[in-house]
Amino acid sequence: MSATSPRSSLVRNLLVGLTLIGAAGTAGAYFSASRERFWVNWLLWTLFLLTLGLGNLFLVALERLVGAHWSVPMRRVPERIASLIPLAIVLLLVAFFGVPVIFPWTHPAAAHNPILVAKAAWLNLPFFAIRLAVCAVVWMLFYRFYVRGSLRQDESKDPAFTVRARRLAPAFMVVFFFSVTILAFDWISGLEPEWYSDMFGVYLFAGTFISGIAAMLLGVLSLMRRGRLPEVQTKHVYNLGSLGLAFTVFFAYIGFAQYMLIWYANLPDEVIWFKHRIEGAWQPVALLLPLLHFFIPFFLLIGSVGKKHPAPLRLAALSILLGHFVDLYWLIFPVLGPRPLFGWPELAMACFFLGLGSLQIRRAMGRGADMPVGDPLLAQGLEWQV
Amino acid sequence: MSSATFAVLGLYTDAHKIVDAANQIRPRKLGRLEAYTPYPVHGLDRAIGLAPSGLGRLVMLMGVIGAGLALLFEGWVSAVDYPLVTGGKALFSWQAFVPVMFEVTVLFATFTAGLAMLFAFNKLPFFGHPVLHSRAIKGITRDKLALSIEATSEAFDAEAARRALLDNGAESVEIVPVPAWDRPLSLVGLLRTIAAIVAACAVAGGGLFAAEKLMPIVPPMIHMHEQPKLNAFQESAFFADGRGMRPAVAGTVARGHLPPAFATPEEAGTLLSNPLPLTQPIAERGHKVFGDHCAICHGLVGDGVPLLSRAYGGKPGNFLSNEIRARPDGHYFGVLMLGKNAMPSYAADLDQDDRWAVVHYIRILQRAQNAKDEDLR
Repeated sequence: MSATSPRSSLVRNLLVGLTLIGAAGTAGAYFSASRERFWVNWLLWTLFLLTLGLGNLFLVALERLVGAHWSVPMRRVPERIASLIPLAIVLLLVAFFGVPVIFPWTHPAAAHNPILVAKAAWLNLPFFAIRLAVCAVVWMLFYRFYVRGSLRQDESKDPAFTVRARRLAPAFMVVFFFSVTILAFDWISGLEPEWYSDMFGVYLFAGTFISGIAAMLLGVLSLMRRGRLPEVQTKHVYNLGSLGLAFTVFFAYIGFAQYMLIWYANLPDEVIWFKHRIEGAWQPVALLLPLLHFFIPFFLLIGSVGKKHPAPLRLAALSILLGHFVDLYWLIFPVLGPRPLFGWPELAMACFFLGLGSLQIRRAMGRGADMPVGDPLLAQGLEWQV
Repeated sequence: MSSATFAVLGLYTDAHKIVDAANQIRPRKLGRLEAYTPYPVHGLDRAIGLAPSGLGRLVMLMGVIGAGLALLFEGWVSAVDYPLVTGGKALFSWQAFVPVMFEVTVLFATFTAGLAMLFAFNKLPFFGHPVLHSRAIKGITRDKLALSIEATSEAFDAEAARRALLDNGAESVEIVPVPAWDRPLSLVGLLRTIAAIVAACAVAGGGLFAAEKLMPIVPPMIHMHEQPKLNAFQESAFFADGRGMRPAVAGTVARGHLPPAFATPEEAGTLLSNPLPLTQPIAERGHKVFGDHCAICHGLVGDGVPLLSRAYGGKPGNFLSNEIRARPDGHYFGVLMLGKNAMPSYAADLDQDDRWAVVHYIRILQRAQNAKDEDLR
């Protein structure tokens, strides 16, 4: 295995170093920066890792649901990136301590706010904790079922698991859409609880899905470059690029639809949320979002050339992932004030969380064979024609 | 000529084999390679030596042109040709244009893809093809894939082509002769097609006209006319006072219609002065207001000789008289708001700026009719 090569252990040590420096900075941020800023950072990065993990678990289940063959040879990559889910759940449980700090509906003043009083049946701490627990348990169960099951199949070669995985996929879809909607409503739009948007859950789902595809694309390309997926061909990656193209458009469509409906109706309690995010100092961030999340990947992936070569695919995937970070930053950080904050606490916590996430994925990358060798559909997936 | 060969067809059932065969045969330049398959086979286009299609770039170009045209059109309509403020939004609101831009992009792109594919790249229309008369065509439209080597010159060697196909895994081979007719597109065929399209349009249009106008079976689509609405002065059961038109909310003042702060025109004359500068557009506005509202009684030059028949018994004021000329601007404004003698108030018809503009215009009339030597210098 490549895990023992000197270059690989150097990368590992660098990542551990980055994480440790980040951890020290994070501790420093907890004691010196404002508590609000600390927990908002914590939430941002936890959601970044969690959505990447969930997006990849969704890709795995989607393949099972539709019975796709083409993605089977690459499926180990999303299964491994999905290992961010247990890590992110732990981080989200820690973030529960920050709930009374950053969520205004927990503050005593909420009792005098008629809008929050009306929403109290949903926005109260016990119910919030129950929802978090239910989501975490459901995610973990499906994660273990799909990822562990697939790894066990490597040795057992038992086709019954493939059938079971397909049967359970519709249930996962239903549960997944509800849980991502809850995640979006509770942890992001709950930061400004007077605001609401019915399609906010779909918006987060679209971002989760497309960033999941981008992470999978990066993983597949990096394994291919190391020669660890010798049988995966351009045609497989091409199809993943097509899926990425389709869902950058989907994300742009959902994002714009949400914005346009609120812009058209022009109701004060809805518009104020966008006003804080697209005017003044936040305007450059708001302009960066469609650029990174739509225009760059769209024009890179629209032609057939862009989907056949690693360089444009990698660039598109990086643009989407950066766009996903900018998206979450743009959704969450305006609660801290009218200017985008990015100082040393942000940098330190970025190092800490990105280091943790990279180490987790690296660890998972060594687990099992690089292709699901026990899957009866693997041969068809390798043979598959566009 | 009926013995001449159009092409040699080799039949396959495996998509991989036909691609491999095409790759093997292409460098031998036996004739033009063509493939007939019931479903698209990946890589076959390259294997038979087709250059990459320019269709994608054309579609992209037309899509971008569609988006640009939609933006220009909507911007021109909303902000230039018929500026109408809707819901307090800016005249050029790109947010509102995006859905139409998106649709026009898709429209241009799909029409380009469809029409260019059919007519430019696939060279339609043609009304027949020699392969349609082959024995293999039944298989080709079902589950067989055919690789065809077409004769491109007199020197075409059908036997060599037949052997090349058999050597490269063809399950069976068929020699397709050149059919008796030599031109696939005949004038008669073209005329027949055009006649059929015209006939179809005539039947559809005539049928709809008969069903809608002659014997009204299909009701005409006038949903916008039939929508629930209230006309002016119509009764309404919805509002408590039964009136369809709504009175102004108590305590509000319409823009340009401040209530008078004076009781008589004389008082207005002492209180008010004309706030508008005398400029060309304001003079023109005053000219229009004067023509619309004042000239009918006061005369076109303001001399108090009405344009109406003598049967109208009023005695309008003469703006050129010394008495009226001496009055301050505010006095005119006051009369416009409060009325005088038989003249009603024009407060509801003219807003503040209209009133002040017409006062300017009256001053212009007075000066024109009492010109002094200095005015000519």
